[in-house]
Amino acid sequence: MHNEESRTDLGNIRIHKNVIASIASLAAIEIEGVKRVGQDLKSGLMEFIGKKSFSAIKVEFDKNGEVKVEIPLIIKYGYNIPEVAAKVQENIRNNLEKMTNLLIKDINVNIQAIEKG
Amino acid sequence: MKFFTVLGIVFYSTIIILVGLSMIGLSLSLIPMQNINNLLAYLQNSANLKIIFGLSGFLLILISFSFAQLILGKFQREKTIAFSTASGEVTVALSAVEDLIKRLTGIIAEIKELRPNVIASKKGIEVDLRVILKSEANIPELTSRLQEITRSKIQEVLGLEEQIFIRIHIAKIITPEEKERKKKDNEREDPAVPYSGFGRI
Repeated sequence: MHNEESRTDLGNIRIHKNVIASIASLAAIEIEGVKRVGQDLKSGLMEFIGKKSFSAIKVEFDKNGEVKVEIPLIIKYGYNIPEVAAKVQENIRNNLEKMTNLLIKDINVNIQAIEKG
Repeated sequence: MKFFTVLGIVFYSTIIILVGLSMIGLSLSLIPMQNINNLLAYLQNSANLKIIFGLSGFLLILISFSFAQLILGKFQREKTIAFSTASGEVTVALSAVEDLIKRLTGIIAEIKELRPNVIASKKGIEVDLRVILKSEANIPELTSRLQEITRSKIQEVLGLEEQIFIRIHIAKIITPEEKERKKKDNEREDPAVPYSGFGRI
């Protein structure tokens, strides 16, 4: 399934995975200590050709409609990783719940590298 | 181990053994060239066999891709330190820990270069440091200071209570004379070109 669908009296509302990835990305970089969102091969290639891609952020919906987000991050040097990761998870959860009303199951953070701020 | 992983390993071992055996057979002339020629000629003449051969090749390529992905995925998964929080899992790439250690070069003035290699095992975190020193510093004092700083930095940043083993290997000590000589060599390699900036805006 590519989108999460909810029904209203007037019709269906579909939220694309990219929207969730985009919210997660913005929520993550709001946190102090986060340098940027990491990349995978696909998003790196897309950025190389000038297209913005959130493919590095993996979004999955399970059977119960709960969302699982996996986000790679680059952390600034000098910050406590567990603290920053916990704040990122909290901020992503709050923003996703506030903006999409979705049920969030897991927010997994992968620290790819540490860079000077 | 999963059934398909075992199947893949058995399949790959069989193919590699067969290739090896045929190479040995060819080198020892155990396989007559005439048989190979006949087989190739039969393959060229039979359309069905050509299709079967082509499809088998395609299948082999697909299997090799999935097998490579499986192995690489496993390696990637192993190269992280993971811990769980209430909201999910946090994994830290070992290369990120290596980045962190590399930044320590600026803290200790005597260190010219620091090349870390971090391994996460069941015992704890093993850190191998390859160090190039700037001058003839007191090595026992310096290395114990480096070990202490590295350990406290990893614990501080990762917040882990696992055991950290730090091995240090002094690869080179650069003396001031050597430094001067290198500087002169570099200057000789890049001589200033007369009027090189002439005409630049």
